Amino acid sequence: MSPAAVAVSVFAAFMVLTVVLGLLAVRRQQGGGLAAWSVGGRSLGPVFIWVLMAGEGYTSFSYLGAAGWGYNYGAPVLYVVAYMSCGYAVGYVVGPMLWGYARKHGLVALSDTAAHRYRRPWVGAAVAVLATVFLLPYIQLQITGMGIVVSTISYGTIGQNLAYFLAFAVTTGFVVVSGLRGSAWVSVLKDALVVLTLAFLFVYVPLHYFGGFGDFFGRLVDEKGAWLKLPGNGGAESGYGIGWFASTTVLNSLTVVIFPTTVAGYLGARDADTLRRNAVWLPAYNVLLFIPMVLGTAALFVVPGLVGAESNLALFKLVTDSLPAWAVGLVGVAAALSSIVPMAVFMLVIGTMWGRSVLSLAPRLRSREKGLSQLVVVVAGVLALLMTYTVPNTLVRLSLISYEGMAQLLPLVLLGLVWRRMTLVGGACGLAVGVALVCGLVFTGHDPLWGVNAGLLALVVNLAVSVLVSLYGPPERADERADEDVLALEEFTEAAVGAGRG
Amino acid sequence: MIRRRPQLVWLLLPYVLFVAALPFVNRVPLLVLWLLGATLVTPVAVGLARRADLKRGERG
Repeated sequence: MSPAAVAVSVFAAFMVLTVVLGLLAVRRQQGGGLAAWSVGGRSLGPVFIWVLMAGEGYTSFSYLGAAGWGYNYGAPVLYVVAYMSCGYAVGYVVGPMLWGYARKHGLVALSDTAAHRYRRPWVGAAVAVLATVFLLPYIQLQITGMGIVVSTISYGTIGQNLAYFLAFAVTTGFVVVSGLRGSAWVSVLKDALVVLTLAFLFVYVPLHYFGGFGDFFGRLVDEKGAWLKLPGNGGAESGYGIGWFASTTVLNSLTVVIFPTTVAGYLGARDADTLRRNAVWLPAYNVLLFIPMVLGTAALFVVPGLVGAESNLALFKLVTDSLPAWAVGLVGVAAALSSIVPMAVFMLVIGTMWGRSVLSLAPRLRSREKGLSQLVVVVAGVLALLMTYTVPNTLVRLSLISYEGMAQLLPLVLLGLVWRRMTLVGGACGLAVGVALVCGLVFTGHDPLWGVNAGLLALVVNLAVSVLVSLYGPPERADERADEDVLALEEFTEAAVGAGRG
Repeated sequence: MIRRRPQLVWLLLPYVLFVAALPFVNRVPLLVLWLLGATLVTPVAVGLARRADLKRGERG
């Protein structure tokens, strides 16, 4: 049996196991409405929420993009660790707040949360459309990542274009059938494999190629010092200096808490305290993110000369070069599941937002909410697949575009939930200015601008416009609802500390 | 938010370590070691916020 056949067989066996796990999860699901499919019936306990949310933080971007950037630039890629850690600290406050608000008002996504806050269904539809536009690059990122993995572990016998299609087909089928609960179940398998394979590679690669950790790190410091501080190997021209690192950390840490996938994790929790407990332990998972970056720099010595998107293969070049075929297949499974789980949740939340906030604007479609949501999942997957074929991009670039766009929803959605005087006109004006500015800067190649993340610059302008127009612009039409019905402050909901303890 | 729940000041510690301290630690090999340390300190910081929250909840 050829190495490619062995690796692909191991890979295929685990893909079948993934689908079986998803089906098993559905069989145990009580009820079958949209809330059961999209937020697991709000019944997921601490372990499932932990693996689900940790799983969203550890995607094929972490496996391939982090190693690729570690190879190309070095230290700048550690912005991922920085923003994830700070984001979990912010999530300690925001997670329970959103959970309590959604539970109190029967909400299932970010879009209907906005619609409830401003009492206008079209606001939810607008948020759903905008979030979809900015989430599609992230789904494209996962399809690209999984395509690279499948193609590489088959030693090139499966072409990348076919591999992209397989990634789309497996994930779309999986998410339509199994929903959030299935993703949580598969996250357990994924996390076990990721921890196992990364720990193994972290020990094996330095020993195999360098004779030990001391020799490896010694060579790294002596010969590749530029990779170990900001702005990294690219030098000042790359734009990835201290200003960029700090501004990207701040922007992404605030954005990650309203990322629709994170919100799905929040809303799926059984109680608010589950989220607080997880906010304590989730940052510890980030230590794993150092490993692909370190392995990316190790590849500098083993496979020098990878350029551009080729650098995404830095980690897998080491794997296929030094490990037997069955182990290559196993590492491939871990990386592929790192695509499937987050991609499934991304597609799930797009389907949920459209089913609840866009398609339900037509009254006769309301009774078919779940079926239509599942149809939207397929459409979103097809769109992301087409983007993968027609406008390929590097993994890190795709991630940054997603975050910079999603960040512009922060004032309208998050500030609006804690500040009663925020008006819809104010939030909408800020959002329009922010999105226009971020698109203008990103698509004209001015990101970063003056060494600062363009998304943060746009967010500052967005926030200023939102607040000024809310304070001095046209007043909101009379809203007689009490603060308890409009705002998401914890004291108004079941999310207050100790609320669930008798 | 922090004025009403002063215990949440612990949640600013990751920002101090990952953002404010950057200009002072941007050296080889200190930067990578510093960021690794900050990653390990973050769960402690959030844990301290939670512990203070629970104590305040019991008193309140």
